[in-house]
Amino acid sequence: MGNRLLSFLMASVALGGMAEAKTVIHVMHQGDPGWVSTYGEVAKRFEAANPDVDIELIYAPHDAYNEKFSAAVMSKQLPDVMELDAPFLANYVWSGYLQPIRPLIDEDVIEDMTESNIAQGTYPVDKELYAVGLTDSSVVLYGNRKYLEAIGARIPKGVDDAWTREEFENYLEKLSKVEGVKWPIDTFRGYGIKTEWITYAYGPILQSAGCDLIDRKTWKSVGTLDSDPCVDALTMMQKWVKNGWVVPQSSGTNQFFAEGHPAALAFGGHWFYAEAAASMKDDTVVMPLPKFGAEGASPNGTWIWGITTASEHPDVAGKFVSFMLKDKAFRDYAKKDSAYPGLKSFAAESPLYADGGAMAVAFEQASKTAVARPPHPAYPIITSAFMGAVDEIFNGGDVKAALTAAAEKIDEDIEENDGYPPFDEQQ
Amino acid sequence: MSDLAIPTLQTEAKRERSAIGSLRVVQTGCILAIALVIVSPLFMLLIASLKDDRFQILADMGSFRAFWAPNPTLSNFAEVSNFSGELAFGRYLLNSLFILASTVGAGLIVNSMAGFVLAWGSLRGRALILSLVIALYVIPQESIIMPLVIMVSRAGMTDTFAVQIVPWVASPLYIFLFYQFFAQLPKELFEAAEMDGASVFRIYRSIFLPLSLPALATVSILMGIETWNQYLWPILVTQTDYARPITVGIATFFGQDSIYWDRAMAASVLMMIPILVLYLAFQRWFVSSFIGSAVKG
Repeated sequence: MGNRLLSFLMASVALGGMAEAKTVIHVMHQGDPGWVSTYGEVAKRFEAANPDVDIELIYAPHDAYNEKFSAAVMSKQLPDVMELDAPFLANYVWSGYLQPIRPLIDEDVIEDMTESNIAQGTYPVDKELYAVGLTDSSVVLYGNRKYLEAIGARIPKGVDDAWTREEFENYLEKLSKVEGVKWPIDTFRGYGIKTEWITYAYGPILQSAGCDLIDRKTWKSVGTLDSDPCVDALTMMQKWVKNGWVVPQSSGTNQFFAEGHPAALAFGGHWFYAEAAASMKDDTVVMPLPKFGAEGASPNGTWIWGITTASEHPDVAGKFVSFMLKDKAFRDYAKKDSAYPGLKSFAAESPLYADGGAMAVAFEQASKTAVARPPHPAYPIITSAFMGAVDEIFNGGDVKAALTAAAEKIDEDIEENDGYPPFDEQQ
Repeated sequence: MSDLAIPTLQTEAKRERSAIGSLRVVQTGCILAIALVIVSPLFMLLIASLKDDRFQILADMGSFRAFWAPNPTLSNFAEVSNFSGELAFGRYLLNSLFILASTVGAGLIVNSMAGFVLAWGSLRGRALILSLVIALYVIPQESIIMPLVIMVSRAGMTDTFAVQIVPWVASPLYIFLFYQFFAQLPKELFEAAEMDGASVFRIYRSIFLPLSLPALATVSILMGIETWNQYLWPILVTQTDYARPITVGIATFFGQDSIYWDRAMAASVLMMIPILVLYLAFQRWFVSSFIGSAVKG
């Protein structure tokens, strides 16, 4: 009896030891309830297929993700795998938080990435891939068919056929006089200045107009952000606001499909399609972003997956990321959520974005006009300075002065950090 | 002369009554308008929580349809009442209630004791300590939050209930509030009890604490609201469902691309109930404490 008890105890200790020997992979993510459940289910399936691995999901709300990440850095509790907003990648890599991902991810996943997806996950200094995602993003111009027909607007068939600035402004003016239209366009000021929206969505207007947030060779903002084309582009947007053509910030983000459809156009993200189509059905027209200069431009980049330098098991972390990106149920949920494809195989499975699909024009933009946000470690300052300037301009401030102040703030940060070497050597 | 004077006086009294009546109508109108402004968002929240189409809720906002649910349903409440799964909102609500009860309970004891000692204790340097307590009050929580995260992380306290309770039990504001209340009570009370041989703790527990119901009510409500609304701190120090409060749970509904208004509204209604109960339970003393503070200057 005593021997049996001893054996039982030893077996229990051994089993306990085995349980403790499991490799634990911490995965930090954000997302709405649907995504949170989906990640949980993917983790369970991965654990079932890999009984020696435990996936511990760490959730942080979308609007407090950066704070959670900062706390993890300061308390030296970085997860193994983390979801990150693509434009912040350069800052994270420069700070030493992420490791190259190519050797850790299945080759077929890497080969499956679209050009835009590769661009959003690549660090410009060493040209290495540091993050991968199933999805990407874009912004299109949504229109209310009834209003567009009322003014006889030309409906573009593709990206090459996008409205010019003159056409666009002409239509805005005509729409402002149509009965039932309270605002010709919703540029989603309602998202406020605490999200990425302003830089993400309005940045391409500057790029299409022939300027940028920062010179991507010299990494200087003065002379670029406050250049004449940028001043002209934001003066144009300020005029839309002054004319009462734009849905004000206080009116929220639902005026395109709210009762009576008070907004005729919506300068909205791909995710807006689900909400608009659910309410307006066939009256929802999806068009490419207008050309504000010689070339069109559209945003890209979304939340993607990286593996941190703190990971003690990067190979297992990579295995989990590969597993997740190939998981059928994961992809099915992304499709249901109208997710914008970042993998070619996922694009082929997504009729919404395929040729003839309602959002085909959005996917066409990825290969023709997508411009990534500046891949520089100073990006957090670039975006906050630009958002502040746009807010000031929309509230009636002097365009040139606001842009110059923002550009100076960006350059000061870069100077204070000695040019963020080796970015200072890139010319 | 007198015949003429009587009707004049009557007319004046009539006029006065009429003026008072008009004033009352204006007063009532103003009160109703203020009440409407305060209550209508809450009513809208309740109505939205009874609609199961998030797109419809968004479309209805900004019109009178926001105040009407043609097909009311409790399905949103059912969805935010689960105790297991990836988003266990029932558990989050219980977690929040536990954190609220523990923080307020411990806070009342610790802060009232500290306030009492500062007011009546024989501790040396009480005036200096009081000045330090007041000085600490001006330091905003946000400025110490990151060092605090590092401290609790090094202490191995992350993802526990304790990490959401212990750092917020003692508060300079509530210590000062209790100090102020205790200091205004008559000195004779303390001296008489002392002459009868009561210890300082006995005087605190049996005499001063029972007399401080308004202060206890005020601190309970203020501390309760503060604890109940904690958002950033639990985000930084919790990792899993184990100790996650409902504020963080509700934030899940506000995703990157979409907002789940239906469930967010239902969860918000559930979240409002405990704090409303707390307020209704203590409001009599809460109001009297505020009035008392105002009168005493």
